[in-house]
Amino acid sequence: MLRADKGTFAKSLRPGGGLERWRERHLRYLMLAPTVLILLALTIFPSVYMFYAAVHRISPNPDLPWEFVGIGNFARLLSDPQFHVALRNTLVFTIVAVALEFLLGLGLALLLDRFIRRLSFLKTVLMIPMMLPPIAVAITWKLIYEPQFGVLNEIMFQLGLPLQAWAGDVNLAMFSIIVADVWQWTPFIFLLMLAGLASLPVEPYEAAALDGASSWRQFWDLTLPFLKPVIAIALLLRVMDALRLFDLVFILTGGGPADRTKVLSLYIYQVAYRFADPGYAAAISLFVLFVTILLSTWFMKRMRLAE
Amino acid sequence: MATIRTRSRTRETLLRLAAYLAILVALVATLFPVYWIAANSFKFDIDIFAVPPEWVPRNPTLKHYDEAFIQRPFLRYALNSFLVAVGTTAISVTFGTMAGYALARFSYPWQWRKQISFWILSTRMMPPIVSIIPLYLFFNYFDMLNTKSALIIAYTAFNLPFATWMMKSYFQDLPVELEEAAIVDGDTRWGAFLHVALPLARPGLAATAIFCLIISWNEFLLSLVITLTEQSQTLPIGIAGRVTQYSTYWGEISAAGFMACVPIVIFAFIVQKHLVRGLSLGAVKG
Repeated sequence: MLRADKGTFAKSLRPGGGLERWRERHLRYLMLAPTVLILLALTIFPSVYMFYAAVHRISPNPDLPWEFVGIGNFARLLSDPQFHVALRNTLVFTIVAVALEFLLGLGLALLLDRFIRRLSFLKTVLMIPMMLPPIAVAITWKLIYEPQFGVLNEIMFQLGLPLQAWAGDVNLAMFSIIVADVWQWTPFIFLLMLAGLASLPVEPYEAAALDGASSWRQFWDLTLPFLKPVIAIALLLRVMDALRLFDLVFILTGGGPADRTKVLSLYIYQVAYRFADPGYAAAISLFVLFVTILLSTWFMKRMRLAE
Repeated sequence: MATIRTRSRTRETLLRLAAYLAILVALVATLFPVYWIAANSFKFDIDIFAVPPEWVPRNPTLKHYDEAFIQRPFLRYALNSFLVAVGTTAISVTFGTMAGYALARFSYPWQWRKQISFWILSTRMMPPIVSIIPLYLFFNYFDMLNTKSALIIAYTAFNLPFATWMMKSYFQDLPVELEEAAIVDGDTRWGAFLHVALPLARPGLAATAIFCLIISWNEFLLSLVITLTEQSQTLPIGIAGRVTQYSTYWGEISAAGFMACVPIVIFAFIVQKHLVRGLSLGAVKG
């Protein structure tokens, strides 16, 4: 795009009114400035504030001064069993949910791409869940999981299987959360994969067909490598979102039973607002931020996504 | 030869049948929960609790819609959601489009462009839960807790980077020659952006706006922390408020939950072309 600058654009400085001339001369900065200023105000300030809060003990009483505790809040992380539980739950959720979403989304996209290309309204129908407010999704699944009159237990009953408490059961709660999340976000992976498939070149497949390659080989040797960048982005976005799961847990289980679904963002919320300890909450937040950035940078490097 | 062909044709037919079956299952799994919340919103309480469940409301009623939207302030929540979503989208799309254009078209000294692009994207990586405490203290300090403007500001923080990157990828796709021609014809750079590039990027603009609207309409966590009363609370918070420790007002929240989905789904069908193109482009190109 350098050309844009060096070509005709550079000569466009016509003699004219002072203001217009000034605007033209500084356009490249003027157009960027609002965004940069807004984001600076909304991210730099809170980040600095958060670092500051993380090294203090903040009393719920606003009249009391903040007490400097250094790395005290971070040291607490090491010996806080609730934090370890939350970390473990978050990782389990992220790995299982994203893996399922990926397999289902890719499979569905391959099916639709191969067998019913023309019915494009099907795509929109299949995309509905990802557009719904997560809160509505949470309510819907709460209704389905309801142990007494929920539809899921009715199906279990019809099939002659034992009824379950689902989101209220110690062993099934995390599974219930994962199912609801898979329902909402598989469409996202599905959509990205569909877009990726639509942009595949035709020639390599013709060549492969001539060589007598099976469709399985074609998928493994052509489709997957071609899709790699899309897959990488889709996984990255989903992992980043899964690490900050909140709404579903907040409504479906509230973190219970027995902390089995307490995830990091819910724990931070509880520490900040129920235990009124924003300093420690800030320290946990910084930890989450650090892990997210580390993971995504590593991933982007590995997948060579950074431009 | 003939047998092989027959066999592979049979195999193809079987495969096709299996595929249709799988897609049918996916469709049912996708649509059933949505149908279920809609169906329950039209049932009397006693029918919601019926065992076995009433698959189709036998005795349909608008009672819960009356409860939610007339007797309780869900209309107010919906209006708040709408205002906040529109405000956020207007700000994010306006400034994001300008910044996206600048990043796509201009050169900057000292490799700035790359750094700034990446920094803008990286602000999107911050999980909302992380920025929530500072934002809370921030709005508390400026006495803005429980206002819609606070929500608009907070949502702009994560919609603006997104809008900038989407628009940047659209402008990069447009050939620069058209703007150059406009300048040769006597337009200014700003004029070329306004009169030439902007109209051409309209599909991208539409897609970006749709996503900002959906994201803001659906947001829950920030609203939960920043808003306290119905004067500024959004629809998701209003709904969550009816799920309490002691009881859940199923009919009412089904009605409100269903109504929260309807505008989004209608909207999505109207603009589905932009939606697919927008999401895939934005995502594939980062």
